[in-house]
Amino acid sequence: MIHRRDFLKFAATLAAVFGLDALPEPVLAALKKIDPEAVPKLIYLQGLSCTGCSISLLQAVAPSPLTMITKYSQLVFHADLSAISGAKALDLVDKYLSGQAGEYFLAVEGAIPEAMPEACYLGDKPFAHYLEQAAKTMSGAIAVGACACDGGIPAAEGNPTGAIGLKEFYRKRNLTGKLVINVRGCSVHPDWVWYTIINLVKIGAPELVNDAPKLFFSRKVHESCPRYHDFQEEIFAKKLGDRGCLFKLGCQGPDTYADCPTRWWNGGRTWCIDSNAPCIGCASPSFARRKDFPFYRIGEVNK
Amino acid sequence: MKVDLGPITRIEGHLNVRTTIDNGVVTEAQCMSEMFRGFEIFLKGRDPLDAQQITQRICGVCPYAHAIASSYAQENAYKIQAPANGRILHNLIQGANHLYDYLLHFYQLSALDFVDVTAILKYTGKDEELLAVKQWVQAELSRKKAFPAAPFLPRLSGQYINDPELNIGALKHYLEAMTMERKANQAAAIFGGKFPHSTAIFPGGCTQEARIDLIAAYQALIREVRDFIRDKYIPDVVAVAGLFPEYWKIGVSRGGFMSYGLLPMTPDPQGKQLFAAGALLDGQVTPVDFGQITQDVKYARYSSASGRTVRDSEITPAAGKEGAYTWSKAPRYGGKMMEVGPAARVLVDYHQGNNPDLKALVDKCAGQAQITPQELNSVLGRHLCRALQAAVIADFLLAETERLDPGAPTMAELAIPESGEGFGATEASRGALLHYLKIEKGKIAKYECVVPTTWNASPRDDQGQPGAMESALIGTKVATPEEQIESVRVVHSFDPCIACAVH
Repeated sequence: MIHRRDFLKFAATLAAVFGLDALPEPVLAALKKIDPEAVPKLIYLQGLSCTGCSISLLQAVAPSPLTMITKYSQLVFHADLSAISGAKALDLVDKYLSGQAGEYFLAVEGAIPEAMPEACYLGDKPFAHYLEQAAKTMSGAIAVGACACDGGIPAAEGNPTGAIGLKEFYRKRNLTGKLVINVRGCSVHPDWVWYTIINLVKIGAPELVNDAPKLFFSRKVHESCPRYHDFQEEIFAKKLGDRGCLFKLGCQGPDTYADCPTRWWNGGRTWCIDSNAPCIGCASPSFARRKDFPFYRIGEVNK
Repeated sequence: MKVDLGPITRIEGHLNVRTTIDNGVVTEAQCMSEMFRGFEIFLKGRDPLDAQQITQRICGVCPYAHAIASSYAQENAYKIQAPANGRILHNLIQGANHLYDYLLHFYQLSALDFVDVTAILKYTGKDEELLAVKQWVQAELSRKKAFPAAPFLPRLSGQYINDPELNIGALKHYLEAMTMERKANQAAAIFGGKFPHSTAIFPGGCTQEARIDLIAAYQALIREVRDFIRDKYIPDVVAVAGLFPEYWKIGVSRGGFMSYGLLPMTPDPQGKQLFAAGALLDGQVTPVDFGQITQDVKYARYSSASGRTVRDSEITPAAGKEGAYTWSKAPRYGGKMMEVGPAARVLVDYHQGNNPDLKALVDKCAGQAQITPQELNSVLGRHLCRALQAAVIADFLLAETERLDPGAPTMAELAIPESGEGFGATEASRGALLHYLKIEKGKIAKYECVVPTTWNASPRDDQGQPGAMESALIGTKVATPEEQIESVRVVHSFDPCIACAVH
């Protein structure tokens, strides 16, 4: 008889190779039936990061962050919340990553300094070491935020560390057997991560588009923008602080997949464009990458 | 014996502290910041207006402080000033961020150093939230799990609070504080666009309008947070201080103090501020001169020249540099080691008699605790200074909302010059934050950030003077050298942020 754990690994491998849609129905169904008692243990590790995604996760409203880490998942280790530190903390992480403490999901915030391993250390080992170890033992991984998905700000043009995202790191190491879900954004919206975890617990692996949960990343910001009407009527903001469509100030909504216009931020009270601030494309894989592609085009409006 | 305390948790980022212990006392400490991204390198050649966005990503805990410092620097370089509304909105956004950050620091990052979480098992009350936590902990402990009740257990060995009622009260406040932090951030994001990483803060003001509906929502949220600060946060800090009075004498840094001042009360950010700027050395406060700041790199992983001023700064990473033990540079003021942060902010302001409300609060609390203001340079002093500032800032923010002129402009018009330079200085929650920007051919030619934890987690300088946190650790008595909860409490009192320190 095949063990459930092996089966999940197998199914995840299939999913990674063929895409979830290609899985046979019975396999997909089994993948969806995760025992609610056995909530996924989360090992949350940070690489080249600013902790903004972790802080964003604490801004969740419903369910609360505490409910998320006790009921829907168990946050076994997180550098910002864990009581334990030092050698004992490393021991805890090692017990999981070496496969001795049972199944777990890896959550990664931050990029990996591929060209400069010394640029990120945890204990006496480079960050990359832990990711290599986890690739063999984890059930799957969630890349939390722009840096973990695609390199983000640390991977901006001219960076000295050779920063890359988790999927690319695993691709370079030929460690591609496990499901890696990309949740983009700088920072992530807390709903995007927490609801992905609830999806994992209640249904199974979420449907992905461009490696990211389709539920949140299938439409462009521009498509659902409340100012789309302004765009059609050619009512454009001419300077920062103006109302109207922000396209001519550099808004990257037409090129960014995210549900910000319908979800809004910080408890649904606000979001960038409602505050007359152009979308800077923080959920785009190429966020902040090029020097010759600035966030704003304020000088071009009247040309 | 040598003991590594890292990875130190409940801080931002990748910090190890290498301690030397002789007869149960820390005799040497090295702060080792272990994450480097190279912001100053990849900012070069970018559009100047990218800077307040990119530099916010230095730190997702205090991004707004970086947005403000960058905006001030750009305003100086562009020779513009925010309209009155714009400056007030900057303050409302940044001030609310301070409130959240102080609560996060005391409850989520520090409380578990003192509070006994297992006391929840003795809870007999009817509070639903606490009962849910109790049931969860019970269920966790009854299962045969590798690490039950993580991330709250396991923990370092040491003396925790004994009184079950105090413990349970603190745990309740731990949970409530998370809601209050969210509300403070919601308030900030009303004008900032979103939190973390605001998109609405710009040099010259804020793109969000000063609308009456937004103002009312902001006020309601901040009032709730202010009440929590007064009724729960300050009393909790005082209660911990009452049970651990030895920590008024532990964690004393051995240099000067510096603050750049926080929350300008005029459109000119260099005008009068809620908390005053100054450098405090040997009991004397002098105005801050950015030209006195240099950064040594003898023990940092850079091959570029040591001792450079901010305007002439250089950065060339040298990952394998012999003798270097950290990615953080060693900033010095006129060659002197300085502590920055909450205690520095209070001491610098107190010595100048700038803010009467802050002085009254300090005198009252110091009197109750039977300490002198000088003893605010300690583990408990830093905690108390945060709480007192939170109260003063919350009142100021509410008063500030009344000074907004609804409908009047919130943004100055921007034009980026072909060349220019500017300093931008403010106080992040963790202390003195300086950005410097030089523009050539319309692009960033140089960008330099000297960040609070660059000061506090500084390694030894070229003369061998330890950094503020290193000096505060030396002399600490530890009961269990392998774990050192006492040293961890010292480190936590500084609220280090390594993403900031190195960037």
